[in-house]
Amino acid sequence: MSVVTRRHEELHETIEDELPDAILDFDEHHNAPAVVANPSRVDDVVRILKQNGYNHLSSVSAVEYDNRYESVYHLRRITDDREDFDEINVVAPADPDEPAVETVSDVFKGANWHEREAYDLMGIRYDNHPDMRRILLPETWKGHPLRDEYDVDQPQYTTLEAHANPIEERYEVENDAALDTMFLNIGPHHPATHGVLHLKTVLDGEVVVDVDPDIGYLHRCEEYLCERLDYKYQIMPYPDRWDYVSAGMLNEMAYARCIEDLAEIDVPEYAQVIRVLAQELSRIAAHMLAVGTFALDIYGELNVIFMYAFKDREIVQEMLEDLSGQRLMFNYLRLGGVAYDLPEPRDEWFGKIRGFLDDLPGKMDEYRSLLEGNELLRKRAEGTGILEPETAKEYGCTGPVLRGSGVGYDVREVDPYGYYDELDWDVVTYDGCDNLSRVLVRLGEVEESARLVEQCVDILESWDGDREIQSRVPRSITPPAETENYTAVEGAKGELGIHIVSDGTEKPHRFKIRSPCFSNLAVFSELAEGEYLADMIATLGSLDLVFGEVDR
Amino acid sequence: MVTFNDAVADLLGVDGFSPLVEFIVGIVGASIVVSVMLTIIGISAVWLKRKWNARLGDRIAVNRIGPAGLMVMPADALKLFSKEVVVPEDVDRIGYKLAPMLAAATVLAAFAFIPFGSGLQIADPETGLIFALAFASLSAVPVVMAGYSSKNKYSFLGFEREVAQAIAYEIPLVVSALAVVPLVAVFADTSAPLRMSNVVTAQQGPLLGVTGLPIPNWFIFAQPVAAVLFFVSILAEFSRNPFDLPEAGSELVAGYLTEYGGVNFVLLFLAEFAAIYFGGALFTALFLGGGSGPVLPAVVWFLGKTFVFYLVVQWFRATIPRVRIDQLLEFGWKYLLELTFLNLLLTAGILWVVL
Amino acid sequence: MMGVLRSLGVTAKHALKGDTFTVEYPDESPGISPRFRGTHKFSLSRCIWCRMCEEVCPNGTIDIKTNEKREGEEYNLNLGQCIYCRLCEEVCPVDAIILTQHFELNAGTKAELEYNMDDLMDVPWYKGMDPLEAREPDRGAWIGTDEEDDVWETAESTYAD
Repeated sequence: MSVVTRRHEELHETIEDELPDAILDFDEHHNAPAVVANPSRVDDVVRILKQNGYNHLSSVSAVEYDNRYESVYHLRRITDDREDFDEINVVAPADPDEPAVETVSDVFKGANWHEREAYDLMGIRYDNHPDMRRILLPETWKGHPLRDEYDVDQPQYTTLEAHANPIEERYEVENDAALDTMFLNIGPHHPATHGVLHLKTVLDGEVVVDVDPDIGYLHRCEEYLCERLDYKYQIMPYPDRWDYVSAGMLNEMAYARCIEDLAEIDVPEYAQVIRVLAQELSRIAAHMLAVGTFALDIYGELNVIFMYAFKDREIVQEMLEDLSGQRLMFNYLRLGGVAYDLPEPRDEWFGKIRGFLDDLPGKMDEYRSLLEGNELLRKRAEGTGILEPETAKEYGCTGPVLRGSGVGYDVREVDPYGYYDELDWDVVTYDGCDNLSRVLVRLGEVEESARLVEQCVDILESWDGDREIQSRVPRSITPPAETENYTAVEGAKGELGIHIVSDGTEKPHRFKIRSPCFSNLAVFSELAEGEYLADMIATLGSLDLVFGEVDR
Repeated sequence: MVTFNDAVADLLGVDGFSPLVEFIVGIVGASIVVSVMLTIIGISAVWLKRKWNARLGDRIAVNRIGPAGLMVMPADALKLFSKEVVVPEDVDRIGYKLAPMLAAATVLAAFAFIPFGSGLQIADPETGLIFALAFASLSAVPVVMAGYSSKNKYSFLGFEREVAQAIAYEIPLVVSALAVVPLVAVFADTSAPLRMSNVVTAQQGPLLGVTGLPIPNWFIFAQPVAAVLFFVSILAEFSRNPFDLPEAGSELVAGYLTEYGGVNFVLLFLAEFAAIYFGGALFTALFLGGGSGPVLPAVVWFLGKTFVFYLVVQWFRATIPRVRIDQLLEFGWKYLLELTFLNLLLTAGILWVVL
Repeated sequence: MMGVLRSLGVTAKHALKGDTFTVEYPDESPGISPRFRGTHKFSLSRCIWCRMCEEVCPNGTIDIKTNEKREGEEYNLNLGQCIYCRLCEEVCPVDAIILTQHFELNAGTKAELEYNMDDLMDVPWYKGMDPLEAREPDRGAWIGTDEEDDVWETAESTYAD
């Protein structure tokens, strides 16, 4: 009996002993066992699990069924020991007419935003939630769009009175002390918000007293969209559009992993190597952009680091274009493999990659002396935007943000998928917990990705077996009804998870995207409050947010 | 000595004695200098900046309109001047409209005291250096006007920063400039060491009596510390990177410029670039020997040096991160101020001992 | 301070080298990969009106109208809406629709990007590049055969009939 199975059995007992009335049932999801909890006691269940080491709340998704709503919590263990990795799901069924579930935001602070999203899109009310507002849609929106009963054609006009100034009362001057502060709307159109983020900021002089990120300006209902497309081909172009800054391959892998896991599709080894190659090239491109835009935030427009980073990203993008046919919206992965083999002539393409890899160390030296070595930058980025590892875990931060706080959680490492296990690479962590560490993690990861790419190229060059790029996949993919799966991959920004609930048809019943940027942004106010305005902007840059992924 | 005004009077064929004639001569002389400066600023703000920054960033930049893209200047000017002048509803109209004019006027007026060499200098009063520095300080006033009258929170933050920054770096600027004054008195052997032409004259000989060496007696060699401090203060005074906080693009959208467009923006923009040139001209006159140099006429040397100064400023802009407001003030008050005074005292002390 | 100077050195090195990476676009075209997915080109002579492309299109970009005898009448494709996923080309059993490398599109209104059959047939080949040479699309999964050549023959004979 494996460690994990034994642990699950012990857990069963513990939960049943301590909370006999909180547990309704035990269930089995495709990825992990599930605890079906009493909706009014779900916080206690999650708390017990947290005490037992499940210290990372990946996501909260809301699912609608004919006779109930479900709020599904995906919990994971983050430890240094890879053997110890484990996941468990908690399901809280809610009443179909008046869905209400007890909030877990007092157990995991990160649940706050996830539950707001579930409320916004599915209409499940979370009792005792500190801030039960809509998050993606405007506050005056009518209806909850992911519900079956939602009428897409319903007009959404709002009278001027109802929408006069939605923030007026919240920030109205209460006493003289409030007169010392200034309310400032940063965004949604601001040079440093990397897209459409609206920060409702209260400034005391130059110091940020309070900041409330307002998201949803780029909400395109990607989840709804995917629920209306078939598994086999139609969904695949869409992941490219979540994190649209060259991380497309990683997003596609997130979807591919989830559905291949659920539908039990094998991937030929040759295709797996190509997948890793494509993903890591994609990661290099995404991290280059992150580093460049961080520099842009600190240096101001006209700085050259941005240009150098863009230049290097461009080289990578050309390789990806040769491979997939597009620069950003790749649509290259297929269930059971990839769309096509490496571009011909192969040697030329390998030569391109090798040329890039050979130049990379010199370029990294340049980046390091421009960023890490520059005292003025260190003065700006060191010790600002402090994210303690405990806070980071509490909020479900992942990716370079978490690794910049010294926690070595990397999905590729703890929950390996594809070909990563066969290759030799390291997880990069820095424990400065500040803006600089997060940027250095990205620089380090570029080097690690380059290592992986090099190994893949070596393997592919000496490949003498069958070049099978796709396994035989059934003509239509129909996972059995009411099966659920949550899997994640290491996207450019962190744990990119997909939760699919199937209803036995060719299309998913529920398609939930666990976006790493969403959780990373949730922690932002903790980082920014008490900082200077300039550092808040730098912190925002160091989180590397892409609003296509935050808002979906 | 034939002054520039006399030369202009000669050119116009009048005798510069009656007040009216002096007035006309002054206007004509000023127009000549301003046109020259505007051309140079136009070239550098619109064309050279792009070219140079592109070169630093491995790009090509403007090259379509005219030879090497030079005609982008009239094209840009035409574009900017033909734009609608939008005055936002709630602004303080007087301040809002006055600020750009004042900005351009103060900084262009400051060029009157600059000894361009070859006799090109409009005014050469006995306290020329102080006048020039006073005009440098004045450049903060239109920024404050623009920021305050715009009624925009970003503009507001921008001008607040400008005030704090101008005050903090005013004193180091003046004091570091003063460090060359005793040297002027010694080398030019004059009782008017603040006169700008004397400052330049003092730097014409070879360095410090060491004959045979081709190093000229520029004060950057005699006063290297003062030169660095002055350079830093100039960057801060005219808000260039790493001290470009009042308009900090990524933080404050465009700072005090946020609400401006069209012609008003052009004037503020022009004033900003003119200020870099003015800073460069001051630096050249004080530390780089003014127009001293072989073969070419002095005025060419002078403008060449200011061009180099400009390129260096843009190079810094491309490479050095912006500091934070508290770091900026800390550096200004806690280090720069003390260093400049120390340098001044040391200079005086050394001269006292030597002489 | 040394770090700042070293940074200045790095940028100065770039400036002195003077290498440029960008290209002067209309004069000098950027490198387009053989696999690049641009504007669609439609071949009326090949199309068998099976409507597979319309079916697979994830966002309803392709709109086909046939008469009651299932003969094709209209083939409309809204380029403004297309996401260039290339699934239509991949699914087509006879290569009647192909994504060329042509990418230079402009239009004054959205309506101009709604291409009909004639517009689609007039789409130029980008520098004479035939996109099919660079691709080995995944036909097997769609039409149940792995042999590319068979597909071509099928197409030819279909047309011949």
